[in-house]
Amino acid sequence: MTITVSPYKSNQTPGRDGFIQLLRAEWTKFRTVRGWVIALIAVAALTALVPIYLAKAAAGNSVETCVNGSCQAEGQAIAVGPGGTAVTDTFYFVHQPMAGNGSITVRITAFRGSGSPQLPVGLALAPQTEPWAKAGIIIKESTKPGSAYAAVLVTGAHGVRMQYNFTHDLAGNATTVSASSPQWLRLIRSGDLITGYESANGMQWTAIGTADLAGLSSTVQAGLFVASPDFTMAVGNGDNSIGGPTQATAVFDHVQLQPASRGQAWTGTQIGNGSGKGYIIPGSQRNHQVRCCARLQPAHGFLARDGSITVRGSGDIAPFTPIVDPLHVTFFGTLFALIAVIALGALFITTEYRRGLIRTTVTASPRRGRILLAKATVIGAVTFVAGLIGAAIAFPVTEHELYANGWKPPVWPQLTLTSSTGLQVVLGTAAIAAAAAILGLAAGVIFRRSAGAVMAVIGVVVAPLILAVAVLPLTAADWLMRISPAAAFSLQQTTPRYSQVSNVCAAYHSCFPLAPWHGFGVLCAWAAVGLSAAAYLLRRRDV
Amino acid sequence: MKDAVHAEWTKLRTVPSTGWLLITLIALTVGASAMASAIVKCPASCSTDTTKLSLTGIILGQAAVAGLAVLVVSSEYSTGMIRVSLAATPKRSVLLAAKAVVVTAVVVAVGAISVLGSLLAGRLLQPGNGFTAANGFTALSLLHGSTLRAAAGSVLYLALIGMFSLGAATALRDSAAATAVVLGVLYVVPVIGDVILSPVWQHRIERWSPANAGLAIQATRDMARLPIGPWPGLGVLALWTAAAMALGWTVLRLRDA
Repeated sequence: MTITVSPYKSNQTPGRDGFIQLLRAEWTKFRTVRGWVIALIAVAALTALVPIYLAKAAAGNSVETCVNGSCQAEGQAIAVGPGGTAVTDTFYFVHQPMAGNGSITVRITAFRGSGSPQLPVGLALAPQTEPWAKAGIIIKESTKPGSAYAAVLVTGAHGVRMQYNFTHDLAGNATTVSASSPQWLRLIRSGDLITGYESANGMQWTAIGTADLAGLSSTVQAGLFVASPDFTMAVGNGDNSIGGPTQATAVFDHVQLQPASRGQAWTGTQIGNGSGKGYIIPGSQRNHQVRCCARLQPAHGFLARDGSITVRGSGDIAPFTPIVDPLHVTFFGTLFALIAVIALGALFITTEYRRGLIRTTVTASPRRGRILLAKATVIGAVTFVAGLIGAAIAFPVTEHELYANGWKPPVWPQLTLTSSTGLQVVLGTAAIAAAAAILGLAAGVIFRRSAGAVMAVIGVVVAPLILAVAVLPLTAADWLMRISPAAAFSLQQTTPRYSQVSNVCAAYHSCFPLAPWHGFGVLCAWAAVGLSAAAYLLRRRDV
Repeated sequence: MKDAVHAEWTKLRTVPSTGWLLITLIALTVGASAMASAIVKCPASCSTDTTKLSLTGIILGQAAVAGLAVLVVSSEYSTGMIRVSLAATPKRSVLLAAKAVVVTAVVVAVGAISVLGSLLAGRLLQPGNGFTAANGFTALSLLHGSTLRAAAGSVLYLALIGMFSLGAATALRDSAAATAVVLGVLYVVPVIGDVILSPVWQHRIERWSPANAGLAIQATRDMARLPIGPWPGLGVLALWTAAAMALGWTVLRLRDA
């Protein structure tokens, strides 16, 4: 007699092990550990509160904001440009009025700078001609600094350019002027449109570009100009910078102004006021104390003789970029939250190793790569949200506090949360948090111990900052800020950088060499490499 | 006490992480110091404090010291070993003191090797970078009082950082939390102090943060312009260390393990 025993079969429907279930499992693990939830709330709170406090503490700045009638920064005079932003508008202008449509044509046969300003002994000398020294022709609304203009010009080291209204810069050919290769330049006005041309021989002309100066007066000033921007260099690790004014001289001939003026003569005017002072901005006195180390005797002017006009000038026609980016400095405060985020990312897996939960996890979902992906998704998402909430609170309050402390337009525009810069900073802060948490997770898998993982990730993300800010010379710091995950902090940078202005880019002054999202790409690359290594080790090792 | 120290020494030398962390300490300190000495050149940066420059790597090496000291306590909590340790050494002060003695001894020994290696690298590399007699520099030597003070002080600095981390870990128990807090104090606070737009706060952080004040011991130039003198600076770090140890001791006594 045989007894058939039917094996036990559960009445429950079999569980599913899809990715959605895995995500839900990981989310459940995260939200049910009280310490982690508290840490996540702390991340949001630190992200919001530290920048706000740093903004409150940011000492008032009135020197660069024209509040007290003194409108200077780093020794340069500041004007307000057509776009309402701060500009440098200092140059020597040899001009005549031009009524209605017309054109101006010149040939430049020589252009040379006067070399280094007098700086303390032991420092490298400035180049003979500043790379962005300018000589050329310009059509300008008036002689008031900051008024609208369009110009074609030759430069010390950047070839022929057409520039207008300070922020626009178009490249022409790359030649430098000499007696054997003179440069012809022409500007033609037609209504609000001004077109710039260049030529090597005065016969074949090439258009460089057209500027639309809406609302230009019918009578404008047209003529020749020379400018040579301040020489600036960083000393040591970039916390000190040193500089001073420079001069340049250009020789023009074949000057043709149409419609030809009746009995008008050329007038020479110094536009704006350069300080004529050399300066050192010392690192320990960051509030822009400008100290004089040498005085340049202003020697600008012009001389018309035998059909040629020699013009000497100094200064610059360019957007003004302040050295300090106060918003970026205050958002450095999110580093405290970032450390907590890194620890959370690491703990999300090292706790499983410590408690042995990892064995249950891989039994429930044997495909280990997917476990890692689910964990990365969950920890990335929660830290992104915490960072986003914190940064979205911090941004408007920080802006308000900075404004109240004197960090005002025109030098520091007031940014709203929904402006592109505002979104970049807020989303960027959240994205940095998410990527750092994923890097922490990857290190957690690789080391399987929290201390090692947290140390390694803080070591690659935060330690480069202290080296770049306080220790390394500028070139090494620049290199470090390109390859280390710290490059991502460029997302929190808010001062626009223009290629037509020579800037000292030092991490100390919260300037990062890579463009914002490129810098973030470096951090993502680190996280991706870390995660790949983690996936490889997780599959290969026993748990 | 002697037995407790012996027990702690046995624990420390028989885990693999100790060896790795000490190798990391030497490699980071000497490597980063040598790199700094190799890239800073005189015509551009003649105002450099060459002694301080040659000891740059301490900034990175201190992370390994912090890791070592944190693990000495927190790994016992994560594995439950702490209950065995306390059963064997019921006097909690003795246990903490024994850990402090062992960590300090190891950090001083390996820290001294790292500092000497860094100075040697600086002595060999800096003259080639323009820090020569012609520019008013003499080769680094421990026979100079200020260089000796900077070198010995750097070793002491590492020892104090070790004790500070030990105290923090004893108070916090969890290795991730303790590592994060200690490295936050050692790395984030100085970065904020350097860039903060408030001269008042900048000055305060330079004088009173453990890392900034402690590293004043390395300065040998422009002493009049230092925010805090070398020994007072190390004293500030010692106060922080004492506070951290006191907090750790209190938590160890009051909380169940």
